[in-house]
Amino acid sequence: MKPISLILLAGVAPLGLAACSSESEEPVEQIIVRQPGEAAPVLSGVANSPGTADIVAAGKAAFAACAACHSVQQDGASGSGPNLYGVAGRAAGRLNGFAYSEAMVSSGITWDSAALNAYLAAPSEVVPGTSMSAGAVTDPERRKAIIAYLASLSQ
Amino acid sequence: MSDSKFSKPPRSKAAKWTRRGFIGVGALAGGALIVGVAIRTGNPVGKLKPIVAGGEGEALINAWVKIGADNLVTAIVPHCEMGQGAQSTIAQMLADEMDVNWENIRVMDAPADGNYVSQHTVRTFIGPGTVPNRPNQASFMEPTYDGLFTQLGKLGDAYITGGSSSVRSTGQYGMRIAGAAARQMLVAAAAAEWGVPASEITTESTMLSHAKSGKSEAYAKFAAAAAEQDLPRAPRIKTVAEYKLMGMPAPRKDIPGKVDGTAIFGIDGGPEGQELKYAAVKAAPVVGARVESMDATVAKTMPGVLQILNMGDFVAVVADSYWQAQQALGAIETAYTKSEIDGLDSEQMFAGFTKALDEAGAKGGNTKADYGDAAGALSSAALKVEAEYKVPFLAHATMEPMNCTAWVRGGKCDIWTGSQVPLMARSGAAEGAGVSADDVTMHSVLLGGGFGRRLTAEYTNQAARIAKATGYPVRMIWSREEDTTQDFYRPADISRFSGGLDKDGKLLSWNNVHCTEDEPAEAALVEFYDIPNVSVRNAEVEMPLRLGSWRSVAHSQHGFFVESFIDELAHAAGKDPYEFRRTLLANSPRHLAVLDGAAKMAGWGSDLPEGHGRGIALARSFNSIVAEVAEVDMTGGKPRVTRMYCCVDAGFAMNPDGLTAQMESGIIYGLTAAMYDEITIKDGRVQQSNFHDYQMMRMGDAPRITVQIINGAPDNLGGAGEPGLPPAAPAVANAIFAATGQRIRELPIAKHFA
Repeated sequence: MKPISLILLAGVAPLGLAACSSESEEPVEQIIVRQPGEAAPVLSGVANSPGTADIVAAGKAAFAACAACHSVQQDGASGSGPNLYGVAGRAAGRLNGFAYSEAMVSSGITWDSAALNAYLAAPSEVVPGTSMSAGAVTDPERRKAIIAYLASLSQ
Repeated sequence: MSDSKFSKPPRSKAAKWTRRGFIGVGALAGGALIVGVAIRTGNPVGKLKPIVAGGEGEALINAWVKIGADNLVTAIVPHCEMGQGAQSTIAQMLADEMDVNWENIRVMDAPADGNYVSQHTVRTFIGPGTVPNRPNQASFMEPTYDGLFTQLGKLGDAYITGGSSSVRSTGQYGMRIAGAAARQMLVAAAAAEWGVPASEITTESTMLSHAKSGKSEAYAKFAAAAAEQDLPRAPRIKTVAEYKLMGMPAPRKDIPGKVDGTAIFGIDGGPEGQELKYAAVKAAPVVGARVESMDATVAKTMPGVLQILNMGDFVAVVADSYWQAQQALGAIETAYTKSEIDGLDSEQMFAGFTKALDEAGAKGGNTKADYGDAAGALSSAALKVEAEYKVPFLAHATMEPMNCTAWVRGGKCDIWTGSQVPLMARSGAAEGAGVSADDVTMHSVLLGGGFGRRLTAEYTNQAARIAKATGYPVRMIWSREEDTTQDFYRPADISRFSGGLDKDGKLLSWNNVHCTEDEPAEAALVEFYDIPNVSVRNAEVEMPLRLGSWRSVAHSQHGFFVESFIDELAHAAGKDPYEFRRTLLANSPRHLAVLDGAAKMAGWGSDLPEGHGRGIALARSFNSIVAEVAEVDMTGGKPRVTRMYCCVDAGFAMNPDGLTAQMESGIIYGLTAAMYDEITIKDGRVQQSNFHDYQMMRMGDAPRITVQIINGAPDNLGGAGEPGLPPAAPAVANAIFAATGQRIRELPIAKHFA
């Protein structure tokens, strides 16, 4: 028996590491607004329309989806994608310190509004081989707003 | 519960199974055979019977294979599918031993029942000396050990997928024997029916044949009769030369569902035909704190909201949709009680680590390895090298955040979730619902990533508590912010080294002291390197955070520490880092072969463009040996990993495609953390929250990876899920040094190039 009980002891310790502190306590406070299937109470003042704020503001909001990869700070470091401060009018694949794909470097594109619009709509079709594997913007209005926002940055 | 629902095969991964229903399959389905690695009644060692068998006449049946009337064979695997493909590889091992063609194989999760504990995994973890060298080399004690380890597993709710162990433990010591036994029983049943000697019957492609009489029948025909046969005591398993499926890249069974969208993950699971409501949750942000008060004035007026709950340790909003629940949760003002760690910050913790290491000095702390005279050899060394390395806390960041769907009613609880420990998940829900574990049905579904994160059960506990309060089924989903801030983190660590070289650059002394308690214990050890004087110790420190297992566990830290320091020693000795390692591997031929393999793949020593560098690293973890060579491009001012070459010896690659995929995955996961990530604490709170400040490696930044496999020990399998990770970070850090002369002693690497 002795060796086996030693194995038992040795085994329980590592398994215990993953244990959690389970609880079965009741709610301290429970606010029941309604039951499933009941109609929602009529609310006032919570309707929020997207508004018709100017296109640059709309573009800034839409750019949030791009900001994970692209910085727009003047002189800011590039992330997974190049810094886009001043991209409007810039030649493609020319920002110092960013490792562009060969395809982008040799694309010969200059980023005017039409080029940005086409690229944002379908990056891999306009520049086959681009590293921008995500980020296509299908909604033309959103593209327009994002381009307006980018153009506004260096003005 | 009606048994009739078990008369046909389960329709999806989420189908309901209980032990009683499951055992009923054989009789009810007609023509089904269930075989397990038997844990027999009547234990040969009387003293152990109470441990092995629960009650009078009760057998612990571990049934892992069934044959349906349609001649489809189902492998019932006591490990989860979290992307690693182990279920499929284990089924492949069963199919090969049983002579079933791959097209006829199906895979299912074993029910979350105590009789499905992964006793072979438990054995591999904690009783490696008890595992026979050959799978069928069953000792007289085998049934006793199986029973003992099953019991042990039950104590710890150890139906576990972790430790890179599924294939090398359950597959090698369980499923292969189950398959061989099933085949032998089918042959015996056919021999009796046909009136021919069993030795004249052959099996192939799920068919039994007798050449002399020309008889041939499908397995299904004899399944019921086979179930009446005695379980073979020690079924003969195949030698490597006889393998047909083992060692082949059989297409994974889980892939079609993942491609066509029919696969059910935790976040998809739930009762069929039942409307679901959604819960968003936010726990107290500091460990030990509780919700003092909540102001839901605004939240309760928001669209879709059904209930708002202060559960004491967390706040929950239940709504018609997840988005509505999350929006309302964000509108709740919450105050928290004080916690003992309100003032904690990570810099302060690192200062504590440094103090503990100072106190441990040259000889203090807990000894992990001590041979030769490390201190003496150091003092007489011609050249002494010292270095200190530091790694941060890390989160798991599974792509699918924590989630669980629960329904509590009539003293019963059902949960749908992905877990690496389904029995523990069940126990957590049972506590939350206030019912016994037997009253909880755990519907195991696919995991959208595990990496050790889903080894805990606090999320099933939360979901059950919410569902108990509402009375209707609720799908709880954590936000990414909740997932990042409420993780069980990979511990941070600081590791100090001093090494002594003689005048010829030969390594004589290795001294290491670090902070973490190592799991696995071998993580910091370097016995495969030929170093005569070694001292490895750890100093005890306090880390009052939620800590957990993170892919490769302590190897994730020590891989970086050890292989960085070896590299520093090589450069101090004026030797090539690859050649320096070679001279230390004279007594470790498998390690040497792997190192040589990686160097050869990478063209070690060949010219690289200006500003590029090459680094090498070697690590042994989970019984597999892996060497990697990284190439980095420093011309952009910050490191860009362009290539990774990986050579792995996992004993034998049961599925080379699966092993390759796991090496690639381990490398990417390791590089993600090494390049970018750290969890920092300020005022007791985790400061990172989402992918903008806890980055994943994107496709554009991922290196091209090449993997080469060596089958160096076919009877001594190693793991696959984790061993690709430990060499990745040091290979890159060493490559950066080769390119620039800058030595990276602290992770993440991005910190040094901000």
